[in-house]
Amino acid sequence: MYVFTMENIGPVVWGEEKYQPFKFPPPYLWYTRHLSTCLGHKIRSGYAKLSFLSTLARRSHHAKVEGDIKKSQLEVIDNDMKLLELQERMVTLPAQGQDRLGSAYTNSLRCLALFGAGVSGLWGCSMIACSDEAEHGLAVPNYPWPHEGILSSYDHASIRRGHQVYQQVCASCHSMSLISFRDLVGVAYTEEETKAMAAEIEVVDGPNDEGEMFTRPGKLSDRFPQPYVNEQAARFANGGAYPPDLSLITKARHNGQNYVFGLLTGYRDPPAGVSIREGLHYNPYFPGGAIAMPKMLIDGAVEYEDGTPATEAQMGKDVVTFLAWAAEPEMEERKLMGFKWIFVLSLALLQAGYYRRLKWSIFKSRKLVLDVVN
Amino acid sequence: MADEEPVDQKKYLEEGCKPKCVKQLRSYEACIKRIDCDESGHKHCTGQYFDYWSCVDKCVAQTLFSKLK
Repeated sequence: MYVFTMENIGPVVWGEEKYQPFKFPPPYLWYTRHLSTCLGHKIRSGYAKLSFLSTLARRSHHAKVEGDIKKSQLEVIDNDMKLLELQERMVTLPAQGQDRLGSAYTNSLRCLALFGAGVSGLWGCSMIACSDEAEHGLAVPNYPWPHEGILSSYDHASIRRGHQVYQQVCASCHSMSLISFRDLVGVAYTEEETKAMAAEIEVVDGPNDEGEMFTRPGKLSDRFPQPYVNEQAARFANGGAYPPDLSLITKARHNGQNYVFGLLTGYRDPPAGVSIREGLHYNPYFPGGAIAMPKMLIDGAVEYEDGTPATEAQMGKDVVTFLAWAAEPEMEERKLMGFKWIFVLSLALLQAGYYRRLKWSIFKSRKLVLDVVN
Repeated sequence: MADEEPVDQKKYLEEGCKPKCVKQLRSYEACIKRIDCDESGHKHCTGQYFDYWSCVDKCVAQTLFSKLK
């Protein structure tokens, strides 16, 4: 009588030597016992397909090599060869079994050599001709932003200062056409302050009853004012370069927040041997190194309302915090929701796991009794 | 920072980090000397420059934000 339990059912599931002493299964079969045989079957069939493909590849390579050798022999015959040599070649054909293997070996060696030459050629070209580093720009370091943590909110005082910097330094060239004045309420300014700020600008509004366009002071619902009418005007005023819209810039650039901070505070003298043409400026973080924007953050350019000393680094940090908020105003709510729902789902996972184990306990403790009939 | 002119924190920290990156700085200076001789216009020291400033940036990034408000 042989009793099958979950412990000794192993060798039967593998389909291999049934009554051998227990051997630890190879890695591709480690999970066949534990995840019922569904995944195990899939792993085994995938492995079998892979080995089949590899034998196919090997066979086709051998066939190709032999075909190449036959072709070269035919070419030799087609060229004007003396009859004697031809006969000699035909006689020695069957005896070329070993040569065939040798040619296959040298052929593959030749291929490998060509491949290696190609790779080293490309690599060398990248070192000499194409200056890769300047092309991608210097990599920015990662700064410890205060709103970085899993439950960290924005520094709203910093957002307020950053908006001031944007308004006084950046807004003359960069639009932020996706942000409205009302978005600032409760984030950086009170409603009255924002209304007063909006009222300072003039907005063109739709046709009146006489059919004419008219201008009016701004309201909370208006978008941030655009410095240029359209892209062409912006390019014309900036030597052909378009100052990008900043509404989503920290999401639109790789490692956006650190990149914008590094760019704004990273204007330096170019390295020896690099010259930048008139009208452009050197910035190592900008891909290519030559940026159309001049250095805008100068110490003391802005006088902060709260009296913070307006150094270049301070202004850079504040304006990047403002831009990060502009691109991701939902960040605080998102983090709170994320924390809440991850917690709730973890509890649900524990409950579901317990319930599954409860229901499956019947089957996991089953015993089948195989009895021999004499 | 108590002066009339507030000192830029980043520049100040970069000066302080220069001694930590002397190796890259020397390498950059050696490159400058090398390309000084030939004036074909194609030689430049961007690589060494990047190595140096990458080192300085890493050093500055550790303490810069603690100095800012």
